[in-house]
Amino acid sequence: MLDQLGNGLLLGIIISVASVALSLLYGVTRIVNFAHGEIIALGAIMTLFFSSPVDYRVLFLDKYSPLGYNFALSCILAVIVCGLFGALLEICLFRPLRKGNVGNIAVLVVTIGLSIFIRHLYLLFATGKVQDFPLELQRRQTYLFFDMTPRNLNVLIAGIVVMLIFGFLLTYTRLGKAMRAVRDSEELSSVSGINSDNIILITWISSSMLAGLAGIFQAIINDVRWNMGFLILLLIFAGTVLGGIGTSFGAMVGGFLIGILVQVSVGLPFMEGHTEAKNAVALAIMILILLFRPQGIFGQKERIS
Amino acid sequence: MKISNKFLFAVFLTGFSIYSVFALNPEGASRILLNLLTFAGIYGLSAIGLNVHFGWTGLLNFGHASFMGVGAYVTLLLMPHAAGREGEITSTGLPFIVALIIGILSAALFGLLLGLPAIRLRGDYLAIVTIAAAEIFRLLVRDLESITGGVYGIINYTENLQQYRPNFINNFSESLGFSPSQAWVCLVAWVSILFTVLFLKRLNNSPWGRALRAVREDEDAVRAMGKNAVWLKLQSFMLGAGIAGLSGVLLAFNYGSLETTVFVPLLTFYVWAIMILGGVGTITGPIFGSIIFWVIISETDRLAFILFENANGQQLAGVRFLLVGLLIMALMIFRPSGLLGKKEELLLDVK
Repeated sequence: MLDQLGNGLLLGIIISVASVALSLLYGVTRIVNFAHGEIIALGAIMTLFFSSPVDYRVLFLDKYSPLGYNFALSCILAVIVCGLFGALLEICLFRPLRKGNVGNIAVLVVTIGLSIFIRHLYLLFATGKVQDFPLELQRRQTYLFFDMTPRNLNVLIAGIVVMLIFGFLLTYTRLGKAMRAVRDSEELSSVSGINSDNIILITWISSSMLAGLAGIFQAIINDVRWNMGFLILLLIFAGTVLGGIGTSFGAMVGGFLIGILVQVSVGLPFMEGHTEAKNAVALAIMILILLFRPQGIFGQKERIS
Repeated sequence: MKISNKFLFAVFLTGFSIYSVFALNPEGASRILLNLLTFAGIYGLSAIGLNVHFGWTGLLNFGHASFMGVGAYVTLLLMPHAAGREGEITSTGLPFIVALIIGILSAALFGLLLGLPAIRLRGDYLAIVTIAAAEIFRLLVRDLESITGGVYGIINYTENLQQYRPNFINNFSESLGFSPSQAWVCLVAWVSILFTVLFLKRLNNSPWGRALRAVREDEDAVRAMGKNAVWLKLQSFMLGAGIAGLSGVLLAFNYGSLETTVFVPLLTFYVWAIMILGGVGTITGPIFGSIIFWVIISETDRLAFILFENANGQQLAGVRFLLVGLLIMALMIFRPSGLLGKKEELLLDVK
């Protein structure tokens, strides 16, 4: 069981970063974003596009060969592209919907349509096949009591650092305060001189950038697939719900817990020979949490109506 | 009864889309039409069930595929079939009608089981819980290979329905070049729709139907009138799930072999698209929505061939889903009431 702990931490960091992003967006805009997984996949696919060697076997959009940039630079560029994509979604789609007073449920259904649409754009024009980043293979090593490759350890550390910095910014800066104000009441924050449109735009950008980063992590740890975001989306919901919707710290811890639970459950006696069903364990936990403690582990009751 | 303009428009659009199948396919149009009408019947039935959940009662159910799955798996496993890697044959079983009724009841029971805890949740949480429950169902079915055949699926069960095929279907299909077994499934699906619609029409005008719509509008008011709102919601969940179970069985008979990949979340989203297109909260809307939807779906292959020379299966499916996604988005933004729905009857905000 313990030998799965390393895998659990790695799955945990992916879900954690993505959950923080989802939770931030839900907290400020009340949008249950089913297209979140597609932004995750965008991060991975853009990194693949920027970093793969020029003579790569796959063309993007059917005619563009990859650019062959340095890998770190590619990751940064991909995260920026994700941020721009988030801004585009907000300005072209979700802001008009908000101004038109379209209800939450309608917006939820729109994000489902959006998710199906973007996902199949990837299938058609980016990567129909499973791809890997152009990184050399590494051997697993033992750190303390878990095994992982040095690169994955770096991913783990980088992810935690990013989330801590992000949490710090959210808690202590003016911007973070403004975000929380918009979350509590868009009207009241507008009255007190906060430009809520700008705050929501910044929320979309930062949420999308974090999601893109999660996608890069997922691709480094596993691989790049067109539907990679959708495969992990329900686990991200589970992480967000477990930690408590609307709390970044909660989402971070919840994401790790879900990741570890999923991987460790492989070692449970009744799961023997049923490794495929490991996601079911996490989803079942999410349902139980929603039923008995809908505010999650760290959430506050008054935020859940 | 006054026929509204909306209804006429829906009939016209449906007729036009069926006509376009003939116009676009000079050869074999009737065979294509039979195929898409079969799917339209089955998915339309499922969308009618979903409409009981979302349209009548305002329950945001995104696990519809699991209700279809429960109905299909229970029914097939009770009848003679072959399942699993070795194709292990079970030669004894219940007659079709008995198995079907048990299947529908189990789907309704699964609806109750899922609804009992989930119904207390607010709209968007209910959506997450139902989609998660549907995934759990699918993963379990895939994993319990000894019972359900797992990834290898169930085969050799179609005879259970086909043995009741009347002779006129054979003669009729022969003259038009149809597959008689699909024509029979098609007929069964549309007869099921007819009876379901008649049944729901009666329910809709009964005190029970009014109470259900009152739950959607204002739960507290329903409670104040002395009705049990939670029990009403559960009844609605069971009714819709039962209808979905029936459509799941028909879907299995149309495919000829049953695999867990049928019941992925995309199936639910298809049904949602059909329901929104037809009109949320209406009874007959999903029928029109379903036919138009399947005409669009079956003709998108053309678009795929324009976009890609020698499009492969993956690309055909990709273009198809691209359009489904776009359709869901566009409908929800520009015309959330669909063809026949009334905007004021539409639940668009979280209560």
